[in-house]
Amino acid sequence: MKPLLEMMSVAGLAVLCAAPLCAQETGAVRGRVTDQATQQPLSGVTITVANRSALSQSDGRYLVTAVAAGSYTLRARMIGYGAATQEVTVAGGDTVTVDLSMTGQAVRLSEVVVVGYGTQRAGDITTAVTQVSSKDFNTGTIVSAQQLIENKIAGVQVVDNNEPGGGLSIRVRGTASVTASSEPLYIVDGVPLGTGSGGGLSAGRDPLNFLNPNDIASITVLKDAASAAIYGTNASNGVVLITTKSGEGRTRVEYGSGFSAASVTRRPSMLSATQFRAAVTQYDTADVAQLGTANTDWFGLVSQTGIGQQHNVAVSGSGASNNYRLSLGYFDQNGILKGSSTKRVAVNVNYNQRLYDDRLGLKATLTGSRAFDEFTPNGVLYNAAQMGPTQPVFDPASATGFYNWPGNSLTSPDNPVEVLNGALDHGTTYRSVGNLQAKYDFSRFLSLRGLNGTVDLGYDVTYADRVNFYPNNIHLQTKNGTNGSYFRSQNQQLNTVLDAYVDYAPPVSVGPGTLDFTAGYSYSQSHANYPSIFANQLQSNLLRDAGIPQTASPPVSSFNVQDSKLISFFGRAGYNVNDRYLVSASIRRDGSSRFGAGNQWGNFPAVSVGWRISQEPFLRGVTAISDLKLRASWGKTGNQAFGNYLYVPTYQFCNSQAQVQFGNQFVCPARPSGVDPNIKWESTRTWDVGADFTLLDQRLAGSFDWYNKHTVDLLFNEVAAAGQFLSNFVTRNIGSVKNTGFDLSLTALLRKTSPTGGLFWTTSLNVSHNTNALLTINPNAVGITGSRILTGTIAGGVGSTVQVLEPGQPINSFFVCQQTYTAGKPAEGLYKTLAGADTTACARGSNTRAFHDPAPHWMFGFTSDMTYRHFDLSVTLRAWLGNYVYNNVASNSGDYRELTAGSSPYNLHSSVLATRFMTQQLLSNYYVEDGSFLRMDNIAVGYTFPWQAQQLRAYVNVQNAFTITGYSGVDPTAGVNGIDNNIYPRSRIITGGLNVQF
Amino acid sequence: MYSSETTTMSRTSRSWSGFMHNHRWNMTGVAVTLIALVAAACTDPTVAPTSTVTGANYFNDPGSYRAFLAKAYAGLAVGGQNGGDGSTDIQGIDGGFSQYMRLYWEMQELPTDEAVIAWGDQTLPELNTQGWNASNTFVNAMYYRVFFQVGMVNEFLRETTNAKLASRSVSGALLAQVHTYRAEARFLRALSLWHGLDFFGDIPLLTENDPLGSIPQQSTRADVYNFVVSELTAIRDSLPLPGASSYGRATGPAADMLLAELYLNAGVYTGAPNYVGALTRASAVIAAGYTLAPNYFNNFQADNNTSPEMIFAVPEDGIRTQTYGSTNFLIHASCGNSMNASNYGVDGCWYGLRLKASAHDLYAAGDVRATAFYTSGQTVAVTQISNFGAGIPNPKFTNKTSGGATGSNASFADTDFPMFRLGEAYLIYAEAQVRGGGGDTTTALLYVNRLRLRAFANDSTKMVVDSQLTLPFLLAERGRELMWEGHRRTDLVRFGMFTGGTYLWAWKGANAYAGDSTAVATDAHFNLYPIPTNELIANPNLKQNTGY
Repeated sequence: MKPLLEMMSVAGLAVLCAAPLCAQETGAVRGRVTDQATQQPLSGVTITVANRSALSQSDGRYLVTAVAAGSYTLRARMIGYGAATQEVTVAGGDTVTVDLSMTGQAVRLSEVVVVGYGTQRAGDITTAVTQVSSKDFNTGTIVSAQQLIENKIAGVQVVDNNEPGGGLSIRVRGTASVTASSEPLYIVDGVPLGTGSGGGLSAGRDPLNFLNPNDIASITVLKDAASAAIYGTNASNGVVLITTKSGEGRTRVEYGSGFSAASVTRRPSMLSATQFRAAVTQYDTADVAQLGTANTDWFGLVSQTGIGQQHNVAVSGSGASNNYRLSLGYFDQNGILKGSSTKRVAVNVNYNQRLYDDRLGLKATLTGSRAFDEFTPNGVLYNAAQMGPTQPVFDPASATGFYNWPGNSLTSPDNPVEVLNGALDHGTTYRSVGNLQAKYDFSRFLSLRGLNGTVDLGYDVTYADRVNFYPNNIHLQTKNGTNGSYFRSQNQQLNTVLDAYVDYAPPVSVGPGTLDFTAGYSYSQSHANYPSIFANQLQSNLLRDAGIPQTASPPVSSFNVQDSKLISFFGRAGYNVNDRYLVSASIRRDGSSRFGAGNQWGNFPAVSVGWRISQEPFLRGVTAISDLKLRASWGKTGNQAFGNYLYVPTYQFCNSQAQVQFGNQFVCPARPSGVDPNIKWESTRTWDVGADFTLLDQRLAGSFDWYNKHTVDLLFNEVAAAGQFLSNFVTRNIGSVKNTGFDLSLTALLRKTSPTGGLFWTTSLNVSHNTNALLTINPNAVGITGSRILTGTIAGGVGSTVQVLEPGQPINSFFVCQQTYTAGKPAEGLYKTLAGADTTACARGSNTRAFHDPAPHWMFGFTSDMTYRHFDLSVTLRAWLGNYVYNNVASNSGDYRELTAGSSPYNLHSSVLATRFMTQQLLSNYYVEDGSFLRMDNIAVGYTFPWQAQQLRAYVNVQNAFTITGYSGVDPTAGVNGIDNNIYPRSRIITGGLNVQF
Repeated sequence: MYSSETTTMSRTSRSWSGFMHNHRWNMTGVAVTLIALVAAACTDPTVAPTSTVTGANYFNDPGSYRAFLAKAYAGLAVGGQNGGDGSTDIQGIDGGFSQYMRLYWEMQELPTDEAVIAWGDQTLPELNTQGWNASNTFVNAMYYRVFFQVGMVNEFLRETTNAKLASRSVSGALLAQVHTYRAEARFLRALSLWHGLDFFGDIPLLTENDPLGSIPQQSTRADVYNFVVSELTAIRDSLPLPGASSYGRATGPAADMLLAELYLNAGVYTGAPNYVGALTRASAVIAAGYTLAPNYFNNFQADNNTSPEMIFAVPEDGIRTQTYGSTNFLIHASCGNSMNASNYGVDGCWYGLRLKASAHDLYAAGDVRATAFYTSGQTVAVTQISNFGAGIPNPKFTNKTSGGATGSNASFADTDFPMFRLGEAYLIYAEAQVRGGGGDTTTALLYVNRLRLRAFANDSTKMVVDSQLTLPFLLAERGRELMWEGHRRTDLVRFGMFTGGTYLWAWKGANAYAGDSTAVATDAHFNLYPIPTNELIANPNLKQNTGY
């Protein structure tokens, strides 16, 4: 190294002396800046001597050159820290050393926030970015990373499906797509996880479950286009950056455990045995003879108290030039429905080695896990609602020992306990995500001071094995002749990504401010295999889920390979004048394999500005305002989260059950596909205007954002003119949608801890409001009323739908008839026409109309944290307003005709006792219920024991303590689409546990 | 560390400066070159699919021509590329619902005096009573079914032009075969265009000369009619000969039969009747060597492919051609309540189809064709559409063979859909003759009485005589002979009795969602189905049919 070192030094001097000032009497000032509290080096501090300035580097060192000889006041300043000054005298040809330490003032402003391809100080950010770090995460029984930030970020809606670890959806500032995914892009330690819910492949529930929530240090959500546009074509739905924990300080072992019990909060409201008997006796006399004498609680028989436990061990620490963290986590949670559970073993390794005097940093992050998910077999939940409560569970005379309605009709419900007892449905997912990062600081090349080069090599590999088995002798299988079925898929996916980028912050000021640049290249590719096999007509049940026995009809297998590629160039520049005027611009150019020639490449620019108005002289005297920054941004992002090869005309062959007869032979037909070769990405243009503020001596802090997201070229797989393509539905870029709203978040420090202890109390509130409207769904449809796409499939007749995509209305508005009421009761078969007249018909296309939508228009999240001496208490409340739910359980079985519709009666929803409907009124707006609610999401109480000079905390946590809602079904958060068709019930989870570190 | 570097600096000579200056730029240059090289190698995002067959390589396999033609046939038999109507051909509707023959049957039978379906599937009830609007899911699907067929055939014809075949070096037996396939494809296009013009009137006339991607123009009903007639006339002699090896495929007599249907209804389609044409073509079919099956029900059973009466059928198979539409739908849906599904060779009852009372009442005592009716526990009057017990089920189609054995799969029937059979050719001859299309009364009576004798177990007292051979008789006899075979709506329209008040039957014009079956005269616009609302949006060139 020595010769190279020397070379560098020479170069440095040469540059210095090449400067014209060299001949004059000038000197230099150098030194190191540290944080007074932590003694850690501070980078990015602006040091000014006379008219010269410089930025401190990552090691805290700075060098101000070409300072004319004389005496000056050296000033050091950085956002979030009090300015430091020191008198300094510079002599010609001399270098003076001045080391400084700075005192943090508003920690929030200097906090490092993870952004795309780098970090920024919170105070410098001019876009809508929210970071939640581990101390503010939700606690309790958390399976999936998204739950950590549920309710914590304004504008971010987290919707879970109630199953333990079930698929979660996140909507950042509303839904902006219909055909493509509306889920954000997830990036874990720099590795993008693919698109779609949870970001990747899974044999079970949410694909993001591979992460142990205890390993996560922070989650950052890039909400506006200006922050997300650096991710270009995958950024329209927002970007969620997940950073795992790394080690620091002394060697430390942490252990945490928790034990939990989950119970059903609310169950579907069906007729009791007595009510059912009365209904059959009155309305279905032909079936009275079939009624049994039992009083069976079918739902009770398929539900349970879900017991769970979790254990986490982590070892972390740091050496002189390295730091590390190793963790092992075990998680096991049973569902509140029998047969459902999730188990996970996860390891996380985070290792950071610094070489060559800290100039080269090598960082490896690796997460690997095995998740095992069991699912309540399909056929249990809805049959538990529909099976007659007067019928017994067991029947010694039947082949399986379980009772079923007599006969073998396709049209009678099945015994859910029989299904539960015989069927199996589970998935095992192995997934590993890792990244190797090399970062080199070029500052030893004096002319390259401030330049860092980073190379990231990341991978995401998954093996997902899903098995589903139904025995051949249960009624569910025998009644339709399936006679046992077996399905297995063993999907594999490998995504790799290479990112190479440089960031450069010239150490001296450029004009009145400082500059920084980032520029890079990214190459990512994905390869996935989807093999699966399906068999029915099983000759034996002996193999269960382990293999396929002889079958009466040949098993059907399929194999599918999916490849995709994304190539990107990106750049970002920022300019900062005295932390007062801030400008940032970025651009990304993406090339995607999902489009045909001519549409592969797209540009995604963004620009943002900030004005720290609190720095202006006219506000300096206002002591109530600690900090106030106004900002505005505009950006364009894309969305390509849909299938591969949509532009390629293909031929699809038949399977062996769809051949055609040519005389005495059977021929397998091949079908050409209908494609639009010109499809391209959806693109979103977003305006964001906001403010970040810290008030009242930093007792109150918050931010406010107003935004307007306009998405065009929206993809619809929709009706094309008959004959225009080879299919009646073709995926084309034909729509547009708008989301407008605001986010507000406030954090108040109500009581500060005094040096002797006492009450510490913070509370935070976030409020989001979003309005969603489809603008067009087809350019041809302008001016034509009735331009609609029907969505929202429901139970109750094949192909029945209850939602609509209609210009001017929110996405998936309910599409129903207006019920007429007499004496407060819905009058059967009486509706209003669009003009308001009475009618007896409720027919789609004539008097159905858009009526509310499933998305909440207002969301509130409220968290309050208190500590007093050894106690801590945390409470999280959530409220949604304006979200509507279609109660499909009530509509599908809320009429007396259901008793006679099949060979044996179905149990009815108790709403029939009020409506007394004789026939189904599926499209009545009676079933569209207001799902607004207030929920006590989380209460946690902890007590910390001082234990052998270490901390031991024991806690009790209650999730979903209570919900106040007018909704009559099991849960008002019935998925993103707001259709409650026997959804998995919500559980109340009580967790107790302890955390210790030593 | 830092200070030592500074010390070093001060000791170095100036002569390095020039080198480093250049070196710096060299390094930058190298880096730029390197990045440019890497970038050039990694800037093509194109990825071709590997596990799917694309248009670029499909015809490298000589078997492709047959497989492609098979799709045009399969479009009638199954709803999609997977058994049980999976991987559907048309979207926006359940696969089983979208099956061609099921939609065709529902639109031809439910609005007439022949059938009702109990189910409440969205917009389905409206078909029972002529109460549909332009948003009807089933009408919508039928429109797209027609154009799916037309699109498949046009694409096949575009891919099998002489120039394309030559470019792929297709010659010899395969070339001759492809020429026959082209004729068959044109038959299938003519068949679907007939359905299209019959249901919807003025529709776009699309041929292989219309490129993909452009929005079609509307043609007149007469133009489409004339095209179909000219096509059939042109290909009649290029089609395969009838026989075991062409069962299920288009043959010359099938083209004649289709022409006969078109000519018979020419007055409706063009305003200019052509009963001479109808009689001529029906005679050609009759002369082609078909004979009546000894037992009427042989045409509707699991082995109806052996019926000597079959001119063109849509073959189904319990193992290899599985659909929830076609005959499988008719058999399952005609079963319910106390009926035993296994008597009909199927695994369950769907509680759907019954006869309207008007259809039940067409039959005289002793008519064999009514012997399938299931009356136990059922009422003749359909007092409530959704109640399977109201109305007489007509399990005329079964999945049992003529020998009484169950078909190969109780879930999916083997029974083929009899689209054209000799019995109907007789009735076309008779009707054309009565309407002045030539021929002679003796022959007409001969043909009609062959059907009567079979229907009444050779009871000669049931034969009709000259004076009885009237149009009302023929409409009723068509009803009896062709009950639930998918002809009724066209027949009633031709006789001017489908809409209006001339002929009223229970539920005609009533509210499908209410409980009152009193018949109401319906508006003449229901003689045509509407162009679907969706299609009007997708294709601004189209004009809606009058009245919608």
